[in-house]
Amino acid sequence: MPILSLVTFLPLAGAIVLAFIPRRRAGLLRGLAMAATIVVFGLSMGLYLSFEDGEAGMQFVEHAPWLGSGIEYHLGVDGISLFLVMLTAFLLPVALLASWRAVNDKVKEFLVIMLVLETGIIGVFLSLNVFLFYVFWEAMLIPMYFLIGIWGGARRVYATMKFVLFTMLGSLLMLVALIILHGRSGTFNLLEYYRLAGSGAWLDPRLQIWLFLAFALAFAVKVPLFPLHTWLPDAHVEAPTAGSVILAAVLLKMGAYGFLRFALPLFPDAVSTFLPFLSALSLVGVIYGGLMALVQKDIKSLVAYSSVSHMGLVMLAVFSLNLEGTQGALFQMINHGLSTGALFLVVGLLYERSHTRRISDYGGLSRQMPVLSALFMIAILSSAGLPGLNGFVGEILCLFGVFRSSTLLAVLAVSTVILAAAYLLGMFQKVMHGPITNPSVRTFKDLNLRELCVLLPIIVLMFWLGLRPGSILRKTEASAALHISRVAGRSTVLVSSPAPSPSGEAGVSAAPVPAEARGSAERNADD
Amino acid sequence: MTSWPALLPLALLTAGGLVLLILEAFIKSRERTYQGTLALAFLVSSGAALVAAWDRDWTLFGGNLRLDDFGILLGLLLTAAAAFVILLCLRYVPLAGSNVGEFYPLLLFALSGALIMLLTTNLLVVFLGLEVLSVSSYALAGLRLDDEKSSEAALKYFLLGSFASAIFVFGLALSFGASKSFEIPALFESLGAGSGTEGLGLAGLAFLLAGLAFKMSLVPFHMWTPDVYQGAPTPVAAFFSVGPKAVGFAVLLRLTAPLLGEGFRDDTLRGLLTALAVLTMVIPNLAAIRQTDIKRLLAYSSIGHAGYLLLAVLAGDPEKLVFYLIVYLFMNVGAFAVVTALCRRDEERNRIDDFAGLGFTSPWLGAMFSVFLLSLAGFPPTAGFLAKFYVFSSAARKGLVPLVVLAVLASLVSVYYYLRVVVVMYMRPAPREAEPNVQSPALLLVLFLCLYGVLQLGLNPGALMHVIRRAVAVLL
Repeated sequence: MPILSLVTFLPLAGAIVLAFIPRRRAGLLRGLAMAATIVVFGLSMGLYLSFEDGEAGMQFVEHAPWLGSGIEYHLGVDGISLFLVMLTAFLLPVALLASWRAVNDKVKEFLVIMLVLETGIIGVFLSLNVFLFYVFWEAMLIPMYFLIGIWGGARRVYATMKFVLFTMLGSLLMLVALIILHGRSGTFNLLEYYRLAGSGAWLDPRLQIWLFLAFALAFAVKVPLFPLHTWLPDAHVEAPTAGSVILAAVLLKMGAYGFLRFALPLFPDAVSTFLPFLSALSLVGVIYGGLMALVQKDIKSLVAYSSVSHMGLVMLAVFSLNLEGTQGALFQMINHGLSTGALFLVVGLLYERSHTRRISDYGGLSRQMPVLSALFMIAILSSAGLPGLNGFVGEILCLFGVFRSSTLLAVLAVSTVILAAAYLLGMFQKVMHGPITNPSVRTFKDLNLRELCVLLPIIVLMFWLGLRPGSILRKTEASAALHISRVAGRSTVLVSSPAPSPSGEAGVSAAPVPAEARGSAERNADD
Repeated sequence: MTSWPALLPLALLTAGGLVLLILEAFIKSRERTYQGTLALAFLVSSGAALVAAWDRDWTLFGGNLRLDDFGILLGLLLTAAAAFVILLCLRYVPLAGSNVGEFYPLLLFALSGALIMLLTTNLLVVFLGLEVLSVSSYALAGLRLDDEKSSEAALKYFLLGSFASAIFVFGLALSFGASKSFEIPALFESLGAGSGTEGLGLAGLAFLLAGLAFKMSLVPFHMWTPDVYQGAPTPVAAFFSVGPKAVGFAVLLRLTAPLLGEGFRDDTLRGLLTALAVLTMVIPNLAAIRQTDIKRLLAYSSIGHAGYLLLAVLAGDPEKLVFYLIVYLFMNVGAFAVVTALCRRDEERNRIDDFAGLGFTSPWLGAMFSVFLLSLAGFPPTAGFLAKFYVFSSAARKGLVPLVVLAVLASLVSVYYYLRVVVVMYMRPAPREAEPNVQSPALLLVLFLCLYGVLQLGLNPGALMHVIRRAVAVLL
């Protein structure tokens, strides 16, 4: 069964079916869209269960000719992409459920666009042909553009245009780089690129630098790395809740994924040149994002800047080029998707009640809405990295990885923990505690069943991943090790340990958490 | 092989035009509904005659009319464009104030002129075709009789066009002086080293290029384009944006394909074309940003696309150029078809603001327009992306990387103005109580065919590429 094609194109098929259903049957439309996304999630669970743990290479590969001259239909999944696909498949139904009431206008268009978006995102993560990857990468922009532009806030047109143009700038230059790569190698097959890059008969270093810059720009805009981040707060603040969730939880990961999958392994010589620079930019992002989050008056832009900060840490770990760092980055990407997704959902729930996002308009909500307040607290603690929740494992792994590549960077990067606690808890205090300043707060109702169903699965996952990180880490380990051997094998960065053999350990303990980290994680879990 | 059926495609078109003119004098029908159908019938039979000539290499008149596969393929492209235009006119002509008997005959004559240019290697015959095409075009542009803009467009087109024709003739004279022949291959020989007439031949070639550049509306010969598109009836503007451009590039390919190959040393021609390409990619894309009229915007966009086509010429890759032209036919005619669909009685609705809320008042029309615009902007998985990708990659393979980077940046700018229209359609409320647009089946057919073309060629162009490869073999 071509399971990857099914996972990728089932949402698109659903969107086409939806297009022919009359718009007045909103209930049927919503139900069908929901069913399609849930089936996709079920399929991705099947993918998870039948995924071979120790296998570093691509699995479930599908390969078919397409346009000729190197352009092929080629899908596959490995430890790096598996959980990003699952995260997407998990969050889409959540986002649809969250917008059940928030989106009443143009429901049909909304659902069609969400489904097309899912196809685009999953296609990006599964493509093994670089041309196919580019097609999905660009095609995915269009639904996101409509999502922000139609259902967004007051400045939505500005925000969505900025989003598209920033992303296009990077990706069009990447297209030129792709063309040149194809000219040199005669293929778009990513696996073939890996083989060539490892063989030594690859591009000369000067060309590598240019190509790397083109790729890195495209991905750095998406992450976003420090000076290119300005589209993000605009897009987040204006986007509807579902858009913010997808944007923060999945789209930003596409940038990090691009670095892991393409920019780093394909141009090992250029990587060693630019690594200090990119690490520095990531670090600036960590601190700058955190400081900016401290002074935001709008909850949504606070969460947006926290994304800049958290993704900075992820990128720092990616650029540390060692196993802990890479594993941590992969894990932290999932965490960030869950915790930031949950934060945006909570902001959306608050906004549905009060129609404001200014922190100063709230206060004392916890008395009116104890359940929401508790769940909000958990999401915040997950985001701030409290031991026992998922954020802690990812953050500590990232920091270990960074520490091994540079002590100075690690020392500075630890500030993210303090900053995150400061801005998140500060915001929580102002919103949930204190006296009720805004009289309309008294009319707010606590979560209903649907809203609970939106948040609870994420909260459960936060605990699950915090207590059993192995359920992810043992699947990513082999691929992460292979990635490290590809990049670091040729670059000059210090890598002290050889990649562990993928088949060595099994079970939860296979997580390559350093002994001390594992110890502390377990200690905290026992508490 | 000399054979009289070689004349058939042209003869059918001219006969069609004449028959329609004569019938107009005798049949008193106010609505003139028969005209479009009859014109379409002649057009289709002419197209069938072209198809029948495929791969036969028929010639006539001592080789001055030559039906090679390249000419036939582009001839079919133009026939398709004209057929789309006629189908659009079935709706448009009764609405607009241009219901005159000369409309369809002029269109057929214009097409026959274009065919003459395509089906010959004799430059004098090319000029003959150019004039037939141009004179009919001037008249077509002015057919909205009660609109000043239309008359202005016709006059402007006529004045500048005749100037361009004169330049073309001047180039013809110079090149005849150099090669003592009107045949294109003879011109190449005169340009070869050591013949003593390189300078003269090259000057002739440059003037010929300038004349053609006017037809193709390359910068800096593009000034007429936005005004003419704006003033001309919308379906006619659709024809102008595709027809003359395709013909111009076909002649340009015949003129330059051997010169840009390996054997030819002189860089002057390459330099000229590079300059044209740079200007044509940059200037219209910047100018389009501030347009408020959709037809002017599409005019600047069509100029910009000519820049990418020039890139294909420079890369010496006729295969990708023809593919681009075919894709361009579908996406551009599709876009103009949507503009036509918005027309009301005696009112062309061309301001971009007229499109406000279209995405929700007529969802299918809005969705199709978005697809055409996104294809023009080069978003995958539409054909516009694939066409651009092919052209860019063959240019990069020839070492023209700086030009490719420029082209990519130009298309980034174009993304902005195409998406601006989409913004208006989807992100602004409809201004007033929207009247339902009643669409004719012919117009829906055009929209559907264009949509099909844009998607089919974007996802699976294999069969077409095979045909194109065979057709361009005659050039190399």
